[in-house]
Parts: sequence; structure tokens; C-alpha cells
Amino acid sequence: MISGWTDEIVLTATIIAWIIIASGMAQTLVYLLQLVIAGYALSQRPPVARSALLWHRYGDVAPPIALIVPAYNEELNVVESVHSMLALEYPNFEVIVINDGSKDQTLQRLVDVFKLVKFQRPYEEALTHAPIRSLYSSPTTERLLVVDKENGGKADAQNAGINVCRAPIFCVIDGDSILEPDALIRAAQPFIDDPEYTIAVGGTIRIANGSRIESGRVTKIGLPTKLLALFQVIEYLRAFLMARLAWSRINTLMLVSGAFGVFRRAEVAAAGGFTKGSMGEDLDLVIKLHRHMMDNGRKYRIQFIPEPVCWTEAPETLGVLARQRSRWQRGALECFFRYRSMFFNPRYGRVGFLGFGHIFIVDVLGPIAEVLGYILMPAFWLLGMLSFDYLLAFTALVFTYGVCVSVCSLILEEAELQKFPRARDLAILTAAAVLENFGYRQINNLWRVKGYWQYLRADQSWGEMTRTGLASDKK
Amino acid sequence: MLWVFWSISILLSALSLAVMCALIARRLFRQRRARADADARQRLFKALIAFSQDRSRETLKSVLLSVPTPIALDAGFEFLSLLRGEEHDGVIAVFVDRGLADHVERQLRKGNAAERIHAVEMLAAFSSGNAAPALLSALDCDRSREVRIAAAISLCDLGALPPLEIVLPKIGIAGQRSRRLIELFRRIPADRIGELKAYAVRSDVPAFVRAAAIDALARMGDFRLADLFVAAMRDDSPEVAAAALRALGRTGHPRASAILAAAMESDDWGVRSEAANAAGRLGLADLVTPLAGLLDDEAWTVRYAAAKAMRAIAPHGEGLLREIASSQTSRSQRTASLILSEGPAS
Repeated sequence: MISGWTDEIVLTATIIAWIIIASGMAQTLVYLLQLVIAGYALSQRPPVARSALLWHRYGDVAPPIALIVPAYNEELNVVESVHSMLALEYPNFEVIVINDGSKDQTLQRLVDVFKLVKFQRPYEEALTHAPIRSLYSSPTTERLLVVDKENGGKADAQNAGINVCRAPIFCVIDGDSILEPDALIRAAQPFIDDPEYTIAVGGTIRIANGSRIESGRVTKIGLPTKLLALFQVIEYLRAFLMARLAWSRINTLMLVSGAFGVFRRAEVAAAGGFTKGSMGEDLDLVIKLHRHMMDNGRKYRIQFIPEPVCWTEAPETLGVLARQRSRWQRGALECFFRYRSMFFNPRYGRVGFLGFGHIFIVDVLGPIAEVLGYILMPAFWLLGMLSFDYLLAFTALVFTYGVCVSVCSLILEEAELQKFPRARDLAILTAAAVLENFGYRQINNLWRVKGYWQYLRADQSWGEMTRTGLASDKK
Repeated sequence: MLWVFWSISILLSALSLAVMCALIARRLFRQRRARADADARQRLFKALIAFSQDRSRETLKSVLLSVPTPIALDAGFEFLSLLRGEEHDGVIAVFVDRGLADHVERQLRKGNAAERIHAVEMLAAFSSGNAAPALLSALDCDRSREVRIAAAISLCDLGALPPLEIVLPKIGIAGQRSRRLIELFRRIPADRIGELKAYAVRSDVPAFVRAAAIDALARMGDFRLADLFVAAMRDDSPEVAAAALRALGRTGHPRASAILAAAMESDDWGVRSEAANAAGRLGLADLVTPLAGLLDDEAWTVRYAAAKAMRAIAPHGEGLLREIASSQTSRSQRTASLILSEGPAS
């Protein structure tokens, strides 16, 4: 009897172990595929042209763009962000700030600094959103429009911005994002080169912690001094230079970051805009766009440009980072299950297989399998079901592969962009790429599992994102 | 199996470490070179500023010779974009004398796509004797369509663009959508209007190309083109028809009212919207009634364009708009009142 029990436990343990290994292998293959495609894409992509050249080349034919900036309790950064947006180098744009029922002085700060006055502007009610209380324009600059509306969440605010904007193309950014002066002209390039098929463009987001910021501009690139933010630099490099570049190359890009994304208005409105209450509204919109275009049998491209166009503040405390990561995880799960009919559906081609396959392996299976691995593998070894030699060798392989993937994203950055100014920065990033595998990666997975739990409990809380502010001269 | 695991781990670690060490070493080397390059740029900028005061070609040439060619080209071209007239020509002459134009031609042959586009633009700025043949060669055989369009634009700036009949097939007209083509058409000089006219009416080219040709013709503001625009408005392609309506809004036509009223009945919202815009632009008071009909259009863009046009046709159009705004609640009434309320809140 006891022997039968033991056999069953051993069999179960073996099955679980193989599921964990298979999941790890699948993730490994996904990263390998991304690396190869991203390397190829970067090697084919011409070096970055100077922004003055881009202006000279595209200035006359650049399409009008509306910058849509949802702001909720952003009094700390909003004025500086708007100043930097108004100073962007682009021939034809307007900035639409949507005060999403902030409880702080966000609106008042804008009214005071830009001398805003109430304004009437007719707009198409293409998308639904919480009521707009007032529109404001500024007598000092005709490029600025402020929408004051009742609170409805980020997606709701973005939908209000899409309704109000008149440009055929809009760019969504976060209230605390800092844009490169030439961000719009770079992001507009695909819309100029291929205006019929390009419906969305994403750009690389970088972490601003540690960089010098003056008058809403990153004037000197530096690395964060805090370890937590430093690890996120590596993560962002991996996410943008590897994953997004690779999927963009094969028109399977599933995510255009909410911190900076440029979209064609007509298609977004036709697809239904941002999904209200979604935890991952940026992922949700891109999936919706894929579905809308494919359902209507239309050819399209969703592109990604690897040049850094936007800087954002990374959380520097465990609590804030944990909330952010749990929310991202909930967003990914929510989108995956909301659009599950696209998963492995031949009607949606590569998006259904590769795009959704990637979400399934990395976001649905990934965190559970990895955390189970951390718990069960040592447990099996303690119970004598797993050889110590194998445990050690497998663990070493998992870690060295993780380091290797991070290093490869650093190689891509160094080979093509070289945005970190000093050799010392590279050495520090290499050390961070190794160190993040010991502790940070594990805790990150725990936060993601927590996000899983919150998703299963249908917890819709956003979690407070405490900002320290990227104020001028902050170093 | 164990042996494989450990071997792969060690190999991955060693490779990662080695590559990063190499990249760091390369970066150190580049850092040192970057300092020297920055000094060279600084020196060249000072010499260029001094040249604009003393016009000493010899001094500028000697500095140019002491600066690495890529730096001289990059900084020189940047500076050139700030200059005009005699000063511009003086700097160009020294650059050509220094042999920079030859280097640009080499870059046009051997560089990557971005470098080749840049080379094409620099050649237009240098306008040396060899520029046109080099650009023609790029238009002929460069493998990138973007480079070929850039070469055509530069040739146009140099006044050496071959007939469009030859140029467009070389650029590659099938599937052509780049807005750079619009830029090329807009640069075509007025004395070559016939070529654009030919492309505006050709039925064997993509609608985008015809619309771009009509757009460029409209910018010339020649009233004699009005009949061509009227003919293009009857085109099957909404893109061409819309471009023709936009153009007609610029030039006008004796039969504009009847033509625009017909266009307002089109099945395509883009055409209806452009017709409304053109009516507003031309201030055609006899179109106020059909415009009022468009206030109830299904497409917001059309409703908005119609209401804006009515507001622009004062006093008749604006008066009717006010009347509709104060009538019973309907989509037309709402559109009218929204447009009338546009502006600073009372």
C-alpha cells in the first residue's frame, strides 16, 4: 500500500517536474527566436539619422498628430511634462491633457501656469467615456487643449482624448513621460513611408532614474543609483530591443506601450478604443486592432522603432514595483482570456500562433511554472526524488541562460544605439544582468503570481503608483 | 546529460563575459575617439563662422584638411543648412575643392540605406558638376525605393530631373504609397506642369499617385487647371475625387455650385466632406441648402465640415445654421449648436 503511494507521488512529481521543464524550454525557445529575429531586424535597419535630417526630410509631409496625455493626480510632474511636450520638434501637433477627475491640484496647476480659459470645441462622440466637465484652451499657446472630465480611469480618459482630437493620428503618453524632442518625427516616419498600411507605431521607452533632467528634457543619460531601478533598465532593454523589435519585424507586435504609442485615429475608433477598466489597456488595444483589421480583411502594419523616444520614472521601492508588476500580470491575463478565441486560431495567423503563444508561454504559464519550480525542485530533492547533481546542473543552466539573454539585449543596444555614454555604464549593466537572476527575478515572479491571484479574485484595484517626480536637475 | 548541462552553462557564461569585455573595450576606444571628433567638429565650426566674416577660402580649406572627412561632411552639411546665398555658395566651393563631393559620391555607392539617402541630400546641396550623374545613377540602380525617391527629389532641386514618365517607373510605381512622392510632385517646377497633368488623368497608375499629382497641381493655383479637376472628380476612386475637390476649393470653377452639390450626394464620406469644405472655402451661398442637408450626415466628419462651411458663408449660411440650432432637437440641430458654440466659453 505504502509502496503504491510512493510510486504515485514519484510519478506525480516526475510529471510536474517535466511540465516545469517543458515550460522553461518553451520560454527559452521564445527568447531565442526573439533574439535571432531582433538581431536580424537591427542589422537590416539603417543607423539612426540625426533629428535635424529627419526634419529636413519629412517636415513638409509630416501628418498632424495629437498628443493625448491622461493625468490623474499628476500635480508633481504635469506642468513640466506639458512644457516639454509643447517644445517638441514637430511641424503640426497639439497637446491634449485629460484631467481624469484628479483629487489633487493637477487642473489648477495647469490653469495657473498656462492661463487656461474655458473653451467650446465640437467633437465626435465616437467612443464612450465619463462626462466631460469642461474644455480649456490657452491664450499663450494654441497647441494646448485641456479636457477636464469626471474620473473614469486611464482608458476612459484616453477615449475622451481620442474623441476630442482632430488629427488623423494621435499619440498616447503617460503624464509623467518625458519625450525626446524628435520623438514625434521619428514615430511619424512609418506613417509617412507607408501611410496606407501603418496603423500603429511604438517606440522604445527608457528609464530616466539617474539621468539628468532639465526643463523637461533628459540632458544627460545616466544609470540609476538604486539597484531596483538598475534591474529594470535591463528588463526594459530586454523587452524593447528584443521582444518588441522581433515581433514587429514579423508584424506580430502585441504591445505598444501606454507610455508612448502612436495610432491612426480612424482605426482605433472603429475598433472601439481603449477598453475601460482594463488593467492592460495598451495590450488590449493592440490586440483589438489586430482583430479588427483581420476580421475586416484589411492589410495593416503595427511597427516598432528601436530608437529611444520616451523616458519614464521606474519605481524605486519594492512596494510600488510589486503593485506595478502584479497589475501588469493581471492585464496580460485579462487580455489573454478576453481574446482567447484568437489563441491558435488559424484565422488570425501569426498573431494567433506566435503573439498569443508568447503571451501564453511567458505570461500565463511562465510565472506559475517558475515559482512552482523554485518550490518543488528543492522539495523533490529533499524528498530524495531528484538527484542533487541534476538539480545543481539544471539550476546553473537556467541562470546562465537568463544572464546570456540579458547580455544579448545589451549587445543589441551597444551594437546599434549606444545610448549609455560611458564604458563604465556597460560594465555596471553587465553586472546587473548577472545579479538580477539572484533574487530580483524570483521576487518578480512572486509578484506576478500575486497578480494571478488578484486576477482570479477579480480584484480590479489599480494600486497607487507613488512618484517621486522627475523634476528639473534631479540626479 | 549532466555533462551537457554543465558544458552549455559554462559556454554561455564564457561567451557572455567575453562579448561584454570586448564591447567595453570597444567602447573605451570609441570614447577616446569621440573626444577627438568633438574637438575636430568644434574646430570646423569655428572656421566656418570665421569664414562667414573674412571669406578666407584658404584658411577654411586648411582646417577642412585637418579634420577627418566624415566629421567634415557631417558638421559641414549641418552648418550649410543654416546658410543661404553667396555665403552658402562660398562654403560649397571650398567643400568641393577639398574633395568632399567625391567622398559623398562614394558614400552613395557604398553606404547603407540611411547613408545613401543622406549622401543624396548632400549631393543636392553641393550641386557640383558630378552631382547630377551620380544622382541619376542612384535613381537608376539603387536597390532601396526610399533612396530612389530621395535621388529624384534632389535631382528636382538641381533642375536635372528627367521626365516623370521615366522617373516614376524607376522609383517603382506599383504599390507606391510614400508621402515623399507628394513632396517630389510639389517640387516639380511650373514649367513642367504638363507632366503632372498627364499623371493626374492617367488611369493606369495607382490612385495615390494621381491624387498626389492633383494635390501638387492645386498648389500651383492655376485657374486653367479647373477643368482637369472637374474631370478628376468623376473618377471612380474616392481618393482621386477627394483630391480633385480639394483642388477645386482652391481654384474655383464657373460651374462649381452644381459640381459640388453633386459631390455632396456621393456614397463616400471623404468625398462629401471635401465637397463641403470646398463649398465653404469658395463661399458659395447657393450651396447652403445642400450643406444644411449634410448636417444630418451619418459621418461626423461630414457633419462638421458642412457646419463649418455654413458658418464660413456669412451671412446666409451662418443665419441658417443659427436657425437650425434653435429648432427642434435633432442631429442637425445638435451639430449646428455645437459648431456655433465653438470658441471661448461665454
